[in-house]
Amino acid sequence: MSDDRKRTIEKRPWSITRRAVLASGSAVGALAAFGLKTPAMAQETTPAAPAAFLPRVLVSFAVNGVTQDIDLDPRTSLLDALRETIGLTGTKKGCDHGQCGACTVHVDGRRVASCLTLAAQVADREITTIEGLGDDEALHPMQQAFIDHDALQCGYCTPGQIMAAVACVHEGHAGSEAEIREYMSGNICRCGAYPGIVAAIRNAAQVMEG
Amino acid sequence: MPTGPYAEIPRVDAYEKVRGRAIYGTDNNPSGVAYGAFVTATIGRGRITAMDLSEAQSIDGVRLIVNHEHTSDLQPARFIMQHGFAFQSYSPVLTPNVAYRGQPVALVVADTLESAIEAASRIRVSYEEHPFAATLDSERAEPVPQAEAATAWPIDDIVVGDAETVYADAAVKVDATYTMPTQHQNPMELIGTVAAWDGDHLTVYEGTQNAGACKFGLAEQLGIPPENVTVISPYTGGGFGQKNTMQSQQVLTAFAARELGRPVKVVVPRRQTFHDSSFRPATRQRVRLAADSAGRFTAALYDVDAQTSMHDFFQSEHADTAARHYGYGAFRSFTRLVRTDTPTPGYMRAPFEHATAFAIESAVDELAYEHGMDPVQIRLLNDTDTDIVDGLPHSSRHVSECLRRGAELFGWDRRTPEPRSMVAQNGDLIGMGVAIGLYAGSGGPNRASVRATRDGIIEISLGVHEMGQGIRTAIANVVARHLNVAPESVTAILGDTRGVPQMLTAGSWGSASSIPAAEAVCEALREALDALGTNAPEGASPAEILALADHDELSVEAATFAPGQNRDALGEIDTGHVAPSGPVYPDFITYSYAAHFVEVRVEQTTRRIRVPRVVSVFDCGRVLSPRTARSQAIGGVVWGVGGALREAGEVDPRYGGVLNADMAEYLVPVNADIGSIEVGFIDEPDPMVNRSGVKGLGEVVLVGVAPAITNAIYHATGVRARHLPVRIEDLV
Ligand code: FES
Ligand code: FES
Repeated sequence: MSDDRKRTIEKRPWSITRRAVLASGSAVGALAAFGLKTPAMAQETTPAAPAAFLPRVLVSFAVNGVTQDIDLDPRTSLLDALRETIGLTGTKKGCDHGQCGACTVHVDGRRVASCLTLAAQVADREITTIEGLGDDEALHPMQQAFIDHDALQCGYCTPGQIMAAVACVHEGHAGSEAEIREYMSGNICRCGAYPGIVAAIRNAAQVMEG
Repeated sequence: MPTGPYAEIPRVDAYEKVRGRAIYGTDNNPSGVAYGAFVTATIGRGRITAMDLSEAQSIDGVRLIVNHEHTSDLQPARFIMQHGFAFQSYSPVLTPNVAYRGQPVALVVADTLESAIEAASRIRVSYEEHPFAATLDSERAEPVPQAEAATAWPIDDIVVGDAETVYADAAVKVDATYTMPTQHQNPMELIGTVAAWDGDHLTVYEGTQNAGACKFGLAEQLGIPPENVTVISPYTGGGFGQKNTMQSQQVLTAFAARELGRPVKVVVPRRQTFHDSSFRPATRQRVRLAADSAGRFTAALYDVDAQTSMHDFFQSEHADTAARHYGYGAFRSFTRLVRTDTPTPGYMRAPFEHATAFAIESAVDELAYEHGMDPVQIRLLNDTDTDIVDGLPHSSRHVSECLRRGAELFGWDRRTPEPRSMVAQNGDLIGMGVAIGLYAGSGGPNRASVRATRDGIIEISLGVHEMGQGIRTAIANVVARHLNVAPESVTAILGDTRGVPQMLTAGSWGSASSIPAAEAVCEALREALDALGTNAPEGASPAEILALADHDELSVEAATFAPGQNRDALGEIDTGHVAPSGPVYPDFITYSYAAHFVEVRVEQTTRRIRVPRVVSVFDCGRVLSPRTARSQAIGGVVWGVGGALREAGEVDPRYGGVLNADMAEYLVPVNADIGSIEVGFIDEPDPMVNRSGVKGLGEVVLVGVAPAITNAIYHATGVRARHLPVRIEDLV
């Protein structure tokens, strides 16, 4: 590596600046709406610019029963917080736009697209991810059914499919194959494991509902 | 050793996958990792004249901005089909050029992804704009006869007999043109790289179908020895051809990590994957098919225009497959590659065959109606034992059996031939269609090593990648049978350059190249165990023999090749290249086959098309893992439904790029789109193509689904769809 070229690339950590503003005003709204402790939220704003704030926020929520106190960029999605900050990589990113379902987790028992959910929005909530579904002793019936019906191929959509499937049963939407297909259509499987997924949910629903 | 059909075993990595424990490329988070985000070009073609980084640099947490001013020491990528390692020869960010809308022009690396994304959005780029051709039909698009294209492995047009004259004189004929748009692979796992340096050694975590090319290609682009690069890809979250070579972001990620002295992760956003990776090229196919009074195909003329890029010739193999659909009396193809200002198109699952089958199998259906013949009968009548192109026998060809068995499972005899003659109780029009599909039976060299321990561990390393097709399960099944152990005791090390060389897994040759090597290395292990002279009882496991011999472990290696290959082929895979062989071998020709039977329902008022039922039967030689093969086959049919009714890249010729570049607007099948899919296998080992009797499955499963659907739509409605995807408006 030549010294010349090194000089062309500036490596200094850019100084923290008030100009680090939110790209989207909606995130500011979301922070306020969820009553966050935002020590960072700046008081002074200039009329022309959106509200500026120091770019960190402290958030506390439970993931699979373990409380996580994390210090985040307030724009961090729940998906990125799980994967990059907390280190639970079972939840996958397939689109980052709420279009594929790969990132499905449960927030207080309801299925949500974690890519469309700010981590700051789930303060004090209970999150369940695929890692929290079964344990070493026993798989969740849905996990077992996915194995038994080979409801997966590459496995990339699978955590999201399983989290959505468990919620689908709890919601009472697993009454027929047609209903399952409809209520599972927010989770894309590019490998095309749909028939196996439907069969697995039919089967697991019976076990779950005893 | 038993040689019959394989037992059904569960997918061996399903447990890891249902627990979220399978570690995919960008699941890796090395300590101190920084995050990258791309700035992408907003013009159709041209040159960067200025880039204002000042605002981006002021963003908290930004550590590095890489653009063309910093990358002069990096070597450009070389195209895989010019004996290189990458999906195209064009390397974004290495020059100020813009070859197509949406290409990366700079990479921002920051402490957090959020800062990187924001900073990328604040880089101001000025351009000099040049005119461009965004589509096959653009005025500036440049057609080049394929036979004249300068390529490493030229492909000539096919000429068998005097098809022109026979066609001109024929009594019954069809002349139709079929068009298909660009399509995008969209595996659920996004393209992405984690690059980490330890001194001068680079480790890359990446979901790929080709760890070998990534290793050697990165070394070449970075100017470092290949032994200094490790690529780890134990699981790929779907590839479908998109991940079959190096991607643009790899060298830039590795470069940024080297500059920063810390690991860097780049996950390419979905929108960008539409703009800077390979895709299925748009095609225009004209078929002229003639038959005699008995319905025998006397001549076929096949003209193909297939999209390529300005910088590479992505060669068309449409005609090679078209010529093998039937035993035509005469055949002539003419292929042109049409150059456009796009990334180089590539090998999206059944890259040519899906399009070819749409054209040929539609034309056959049209001819069958012209002739008043049953669509299954006309196909059976035109089956062949001999390849018309090379005059070689087929090593195995059970397509007629696929048709017969499929017709029976489907209940084809309940079909009344007249269009619009079948109506459901609720008023929906019912259509039933059939089509066949075929895919080249390739093979290749493979190295294998196996280690057996006294504790019962069997660890096998093979040059193949697990991307959902179930190769890990097939390997476990084969090794278990050959070594008389339980499948659970077999650990397969795949997609990892620390093991044996990793050749591209694509072209449906994964099993045909790796399973013979697995068998050979098991045989070598057996011999080595016998040589221990323990007098172990017949059928003893390696662990039992090692215990008797008081040995802790034993390791052996082996290598295998496809017919007609020799050890030279190993030199190719040892240096990260591809060395496939087939489907034309010295003494025979090999293809896999499919027969698809589809029922559609078309709502009379809305014209909405549903596919409630598909029956498909496949000839892929020996089935190695019945459960995962079945899933792969079902998945292929799902792809066919997408290809026929949903998928199209929408390009505005005035701007270039892809308009519908996300999962909400590029429609792929969802659960509610899919009905009953029944699949069957002939499961007859191919006696010649390799010692395992296995032909490919992963692509043939999709080939022919689309025309079976459009033929069914014709049967339901009387409307002949010659353009995919078929949408409601096409039937109004
Ligand atoms: S990653 Fe969240 S829906 Fe696709
Ligand atoms: S299993 Fe591959 S995307 Fe669903």
